[in-house]
Amino acid sequence: MRCYGLTIPGSERGLCGGRPVLGRPSGSGVVRPISRVAFPRAKLREGSNSMVVDLSFYDLLGIPESGTLTEIKSAYKQLARKYHPDVSPPDRLEEYTKRFIQVQEAYETLSDPSRRAMYDRDMAKGISFAFTARRRYDYHHQVVEQRTEWKSRWQSQLSELKRRSNGKDAGGNMSWAARMRQQRDESC
Amino acid sequence: MAFCGTFVQPSVSPCIKYIVPRPNHGCRNKFSVRASASGSGDGERTIIWKEKGKWKIKYSAEKPETPLLDTINHPIHMKNLTAQDLEQLAAELRADIVHSVSNTGGHLSSSLGVVELTVALHHVFDTPEDKIIWDVGHQAYPHKILTGRRPRMHTIRKASGLAGFPKRDESVHDAFGAGHSSTSISAGLGMAVARDLLGKNNNIISVIGDGALTAGQAYEAMNNAGFLDSNMIVILNDNKQVSLPTATLDGPATPVGALSSALSKIQASTQLRKLREAAKSITKQLGDQTHQVAAKVDEYARGLISASGSTFFEELGLYYIGPVDGHSIEDLVAIFERVKATPAPGPVLIHIVTEKGKGYPPAELADDKMHGVVKFDPKTGHQFKTKSPTLSYTQYFAESLIKEAELDKKIVGIHAAMGGGTGLNYFQKRFPERCFDVGIAEQHAVTFAAGLAAEGLKPFCAIYSSFLQRGYDQVVHDVDLQNLPVRFAMDRAGLVGADGPTHCGAFDITYMACLPNMVVMAPSDEAELMHMVATAAAIDDRPSCFRFPRGNGIGATLPLNNKGTPLEIGKGRILTEGSRVALLGYGSIVQQCRQASEMLKEHDIYVTVADARFCKPLDTDLIRLLAKEHEMLITVEEGSIGGFGSHVAHFLSLSGILDGPLKWRAMMLPDRYIEHGSPEIQIEESGLSSKNIAATVLSLLERPKEALLFK
Repeated sequence: MRCYGLTIPGSERGLCGGRPVLGRPSGSGVVRPISRVAFPRAKLREGSNSMVVDLSFYDLLGIPESGTLTEIKSAYKQLARKYHPDVSPPDRLEEYTKRFIQVQEAYETLSDPSRRAMYDRDMAKGISFAFTARRRYDYHHQVVEQRTEWKSRWQSQLSELKRRSNGKDAGGNMSWAARMRQQRDESC
Repeated sequence: MAFCGTFVQPSVSPCIKYIVPRPNHGCRNKFSVRASASGSGDGERTIIWKEKGKWKIKYSAEKPETPLLDTINHPIHMKNLTAQDLEQLAAELRADIVHSVSNTGGHLSSSLGVVELTVALHHVFDTPEDKIIWDVGHQAYPHKILTGRRPRMHTIRKASGLAGFPKRDESVHDAFGAGHSSTSISAGLGMAVARDLLGKNNNIISVIGDGALTAGQAYEAMNNAGFLDSNMIVILNDNKQVSLPTATLDGPATPVGALSSALSKIQASTQLRKLREAAKSITKQLGDQTHQVAAKVDEYARGLISASGSTFFEELGLYYIGPVDGHSIEDLVAIFERVKATPAPGPVLIHIVTEKGKGYPPAELADDKMHGVVKFDPKTGHQFKTKSPTLSYTQYFAESLIKEAELDKKIVGIHAAMGGGTGLNYFQKRFPERCFDVGIAEQHAVTFAAGLAAEGLKPFCAIYSSFLQRGYDQVVHDVDLQNLPVRFAMDRAGLVGADGPTHCGAFDITYMACLPNMVVMAPSDEAELMHMVATAAAIDDRPSCFRFPRGNGIGATLPLNNKGTPLEIGKGRILTEGSRVALLGYGSIVQQCRQASEMLKEHDIYVTVADARFCKPLDTDLIRLLAKEHEMLITVEEGSIGGFGSHVAHFLSLSGILDGPLKWRAMMLPDRYIEHGSPEIQIEESGLSSKNIAATVLSLLERPKEALLFK
């Protein structure tokens, strides 16, 4: 079974169906350390070889690397219509759904200028254009990370709001509404 | 689950009477095994199921089964729902909206984008005491469903049915009527100040979109809100659709203006994260002894929390929270609860990020996101557009403007975020450098056009008749007073059908024709429209305007190559000759006059039908001729009082004709707002249909019994 496995020996979250894997049978026998231990998106279907030939996002959408936003969008639309699970032929549903998800991810990354810049940088750094598990993890992780970042940000903002609110209506130079609130509180 | 304050165990839910088990299919069983269901057909139903923690919907033409939504008739029924229930409710609400709009037509994707927001708002707040004000209002379909109007959703936008926008007369839950954009913060501030003066204690929530934020009124309101510091919540619904409709002919519109890039910068800020990481690591290294330093670092970081663009709102005086994932009910409820619990927050702006059309793949993929749709098939999203032998007036206008612009390099087009609605999308495609979309900013569009005209260009301002009301002072002061040759193409003049009185173009004849320098004209069919575009292009020494209605042409013979010829200014034309009675129509209502004359022929009455073409300058010779050769003159227009009929009356009195034997009557829109409905019903109700005209003629001729045949 092919595994895009870069695992640390002893880590529980192996890539192939959850069984621990002792690293790829490479010549050097060295297990490359990776920056992240767990791969949340480790869902390779058993026996499927559709991940073997991995394409860059640009190849996936069929556009050149210098593609403009309009080109990206029209390519995405075309492919999304083709591979959408609701309109795919029933016998190739799995494959089409996978493709759809990939196309979706490609579009989300390439249509956002900052993410696209990051992707291009990574692509330049990496030797191959392989759509490796690590890279996929990066981009999906990026979305998840962005959401977590947003969440922690607004949580802090809410605490700050509470703090400000407690100090707001006191002191001189009160706003109109502060005076009204004070009147209301005094009357009841 | 603590955040929603529920003490009810999930098993003892309000929907005990529904025995349908919670859909819990692990497998992709698309064909429903519910033999007991009453659906017809062989099982292709809209199915809502939960897969891996996310709700999925498979759409079909059948009515969806919505066990939880069926129990909600009032926001109070939502108070005890758990987080899981709320998510299920959102999924069911989505399915219901798609089903409902597929049968009636209306606005689809904006409603889909705010499903989670609406659910969260009604769960946390208590309308009608709390006020939720929806800007523009076309996204209020989920709000209407959740506030007890679900049984009537099949009547939406139909005569005597629900309005397509919030309406105070319709329900107490609709706090403020909307239809034009960018008014929600102003209205909300007014309600907040009233609450403060009356000593009450409810919440005010204004929901505004990023597109509506391009209008100046939103800033006027935010500025004032910041100054007054009254408690209110402004929810900025950011779906990156800063132009409307959201597509050019080639694809989605790129956002208009600097505002959208500012908003996206706020969303994408990574520097902040890096800074906080750095701050955290410094604090860790410094250890326990350095409390003060740590506190300072924290405060510094906290001060930066609202950095990178949100100072935009902070400067105006609103406390900024966000960005927030607008499709996460959990997040939204948490934030609303916290803000509600704060005693004196002042004005708070919560920036949520949503996707227009979310949850319905055909809408997500469409160029215009299926913003406004007619009846469609829920499975595929394919709309059932009726084929018409003629194009719409908008398209004829766009064609003829393009032809004019090909010959004259100075012609430019301006619109206010309505590229599709005004037809200037076609112009944009042909002349991308000569078409200007200014966002929802009619006032700016008019003065911008005035500036262009002052330097010798020929600007065509294509703004809907009712939206031009917003820029009226600019029309008077910047264009007409200075006599600058700006051309106004007022689409959607007269009654507009399902959109109702908020979009009705009833007043443009009145407000344009009273201006001293303005040339005011109206075509009676699409060929005339093309000629008037050419006429307007030729008028270079004063401002001019022309109005045309919503709808399709009548099939008139178009001029060669769609290129119109300029008309003689101030000259109308006679269409049919008759005797005793003359019908003088202005604009597309001339077609109704013609039909009336056909009907009257059967009663052996032959009336003259004339097309005035110009309201200013009036064709005085034509009026004198008609007055001399007929006993009765009826002027007909699809506008309010003070328009064409009024100008004719003024002329008749000044010239002394009114002292003579002539009987003069004016037919116009009645002195009330005509409710939404189909165009046929509206015109009947306003008394301007061909039947009404014929009946008026007959009563004037003192044959009232026959007039009754036409009523």
